[in-house]
Amino acid sequence: MVTYVVRRFLLAIPQLLIISIVLFGLMQAIGDPISTLGARTPPRPEEKARLRRMLGLDQPIHIQYLVWLAGNDWLLLDMDGDGVGETPGPRRGILRGDLGNSLVTRQPVVTMIAERLPNTLLLMGTTEIVIIVFSLAIGVYSALRQYSAGDAVITAASFIGYSMPVFWLALMMMYLFAVNFKRWGLPYLPTVGMYDPAVGAEPVEIARHMIMPVATLSIISVAGYSRYVRSSMLEVLHQDYIRTARAKGVREWWVIFHHALKNAALPFVTLIGLDIPFLLAGAVVTERIFAWPGMGRMFIDHVDRSDYPVLMGILMFIALAVVVFQLLTDLTYSVLDPRIRLN
Amino acid sequence: MLVRKPVWIVASGLVALALLVGACTPGAAAVPTQAPQPTSAPSNTQAPQPTTPPAAPEFSGSATITFVQEPDTLNYGMYSTMWFSQIAQQFWSKGLWSFDENSEPVLEIAAEIPSVENGGLSEDGQTITLRLNPAVTWSDGTPLTSEDFVFTYEMVMSDANVVLSRSPYEEHVASVEAPDPQTVVVHMTDSYAAWLTTLFTTVLPKHVLQPVFESAGTLDGAEWHRAPTVGVGPFVFSEWEPQSHLIFTANPNWIRPPKLEQIVIRFTPDDAAQEAAILAGDTDIGVFLDASQVERLEADGTIDVVGTPGGFDEAWFLNVNAETAHPAMLDVNVRRALALATDRFSIVEDLLDPEINPVNVTFWDNTPGYETRTLEPLPYDPDEAARLLDEAGWVDTNGNGTRDKDDVELVLRYITNQRELRMNMQAVVQQQLAAVGIGTELVNYSSDVFWNGYNDEGPQAKGEYDIAQYSSAPLGPPDPEASANWECDQIASADNPDGANWQGYCNADLETLLDEQAVTADPQARRALYEQIQQIMFDEMIYVGIWKDPDLWSIHESIQNVRLSGPTPFWNAHEWTVTP
Repeated sequence: MVTYVVRRFLLAIPQLLIISIVLFGLMQAIGDPISTLGARTPPRPEEKARLRRMLGLDQPIHIQYLVWLAGNDWLLLDMDGDGVGETPGPRRGILRGDLGNSLVTRQPVVTMIAERLPNTLLLMGTTEIVIIVFSLAIGVYSALRQYSAGDAVITAASFIGYSMPVFWLALMMMYLFAVNFKRWGLPYLPTVGMYDPAVGAEPVEIARHMIMPVATLSIISVAGYSRYVRSSMLEVLHQDYIRTARAKGVREWWVIFHHALKNAALPFVTLIGLDIPFLLAGAVVTERIFAWPGMGRMFIDHVDRSDYPVLMGILMFIALAVVVFQLLTDLTYSVLDPRIRLN
Repeated sequence: MLVRKPVWIVASGLVALALLVGACTPGAAAVPTQAPQPTSAPSNTQAPQPTTPPAAPEFSGSATITFVQEPDTLNYGMYSTMWFSQIAQQFWSKGLWSFDENSEPVLEIAAEIPSVENGGLSEDGQTITLRLNPAVTWSDGTPLTSEDFVFTYEMVMSDANVVLSRSPYEEHVASVEAPDPQTVVVHMTDSYAAWLTTLFTTVLPKHVLQPVFESAGTLDGAEWHRAPTVGVGPFVFSEWEPQSHLIFTANPNWIRPPKLEQIVIRFTPDDAAQEAAILAGDTDIGVFLDASQVERLEADGTIDVVGTPGGFDEAWFLNVNAETAHPAMLDVNVRRALALATDRFSIVEDLLDPEINPVNVTFWDNTPGYETRTLEPLPYDPDEAARLLDEAGWVDTNGNGTRDKDDVELVLRYITNQRELRMNMQAVVQQQLAAVGIGTELVNYSSDVFWNGYNDEGPQAKGEYDIAQYSSAPLGPPDPEASANWECDQIASADNPDGANWQGYCNADLETLLDEQAVTADPQARRALYEQIQQIMFDEMIYVGIWKDPDLWSIHESIQNVRLSGPTPFWNAHEWTVTP
């Protein structure tokens, strides 16, 4: 087991290096960060030239990549514009734990990720729990009552849920539960944000603000995932060992949850394993609409500004998470199904 | 493993708790009641006197504002050029003066507006003496002195700081001196008429930032940019929760103590979500609205939508550079025909609100004091357009539906960015111009490419267009200065890649007038010069106005005494009051 884990991590190093090269190359296509710095009033051409020089954006792409990777404290930057470098660079590079600074906020990227990650984990973690619980419950129920009226209703509802665009669902919920409920004098939910600054970040306040984004994200995913659980359960429920267990007089709930669901859960675990790294990335559309201060919103905000140090930081963080959680998923397989041997 | 009983119970409990909490809680905490206060406009000729200290303030109430964009930093000018950072600055960091709803200056840090009469402005306009109000202190009680101004100038110009803009100091200021604590002397390199709106719109606290600069060697990473706990304005920074909100609390040390206890700015990046928040009454002031939202918001009955002149007007900038433009664009009658053949009135009617966004004529129609008083937009007259084109020799000789001349087809390259509104307009204009025999090639660029300079293959800078559409404003409204756009030596080329004249227009008469207005400090005389400038640009038809583009704001009935201005919208925030 230990050898397997070490080998996987060693393999991940060249993987991450290649990913970083590809991503850095793609960053060149998202636009010129200097042109968007002025927002409404674009910087004058001479200001743009000065900023490019001072920020090192006038260097060839391979030098810029090297700086991102290994820093620029070993280079002399030309800050005064006389054509001769005189000031050592401030960057240490990702290999020494420095993801760089945002071009627009000037904050360290590590700090920015650390500020948003807990918010995203709270939202997405809760959402994932809701998804797992409801998907399993609905999927198992549908499988046990195949072709019943309940199954038909759930199937229809799943297709409706799966078909709804997330932005539409989010805005409809906002107008119904926040705007109209308030007008009608009913108990209502807050429109946007993680909490009302006037109230503060109290657990109850945060929970109120989570209801709509969690519901929006869950409805669509539960609709899809419950179908996977249903089909896996149906397949397993017709296996010989289930019939044997029932013939031996094992209680029905034990047959379903211990024997059937445990084996039916393997494809579901694969899906969840793939999901988890992206939980860290947040939900771009939902976080933006509900103004949730998370990773997804930060990503899209900084795409708009072509802020490549922040984008590279987020993407490399996700890439690392994918490697780690894929490994954890593989380890979980061996626990759920003893026939799988890691070696 | 995944479905053991405790997991079910915990998860179900969490969900049930969340739903229960949501169903049972009626909403945000109520805001303390505050009766509306009578508005009293501050004098714009006299600074508050140090001999009349403010009475013990009684702050109450909180106003909530929604921004659709979060400022990148709060250090506007040096480390941010975002409009949202600029408008937030009015709460915590006043400049020498603000501008009221009539775009008249209102004294803040300065004790007087420099003029030749009061000795603040030298006869040649090259020395400006700023006298500071001795009653003004930083929010921590430290006196604000001329040393802070010298420090600000040094930090903007320092090569150790990667500041976003050094304008106007780099081009127009030779030095800044502090002969005594209450006097700042600015030596200009030339007579610069726009000093009123561009000089020291913000000041840095030397006592806070000099130690930071000395220890770090730069201000680039200073915490103060995002947490300026010391400021100079009616409110002082209190909290910035990234992507969530900004809070400013009342500053009792300010010369005009505010009536509100705090200002909360919430960041709501989605336009539709901002609209929902406004309708739900979650915000008192909504910022940067779209014209399409006005009707829905005002239908609520509790919300008023107002527009302020921020200097921006949507327009066509026509390429008349003989080396890059279509040959037809060099003929003023063809350019006039373009305007006559385009029904800008129905476009505004269909796509916008003509009461808010009427068709404009000149570049300065949304810059108060400099809007045209004599010119009218050309009417929609396709017959006259056809006649002018015929007269110019552009006729359809090959029967393909597009006019031509000397074997050159009249197909123009019409470029803009990827904003949906502009793309919709392009499609309409293409049909209208086709009706008079003008073909168009529609091209859309991402905003960064659209604004790229000559060396970065910017399509405007390189003249790869005939019609360019966008919204533009003078450099620092309400000052009208925008001369570089039309000066002969600013025409962008391989030899002059930083040139700001992307239309390639060169007219000696116009240039003389532009040079003269740039050094004319008398507003009346300057306005007269602008009338002549506008007349030349109108006659030469190098600029075709499409619509006025005011900044739109929603004001809920819960907030009173809000008098927004174009240049410094929140200039009278100290007078605001709220009711629940």
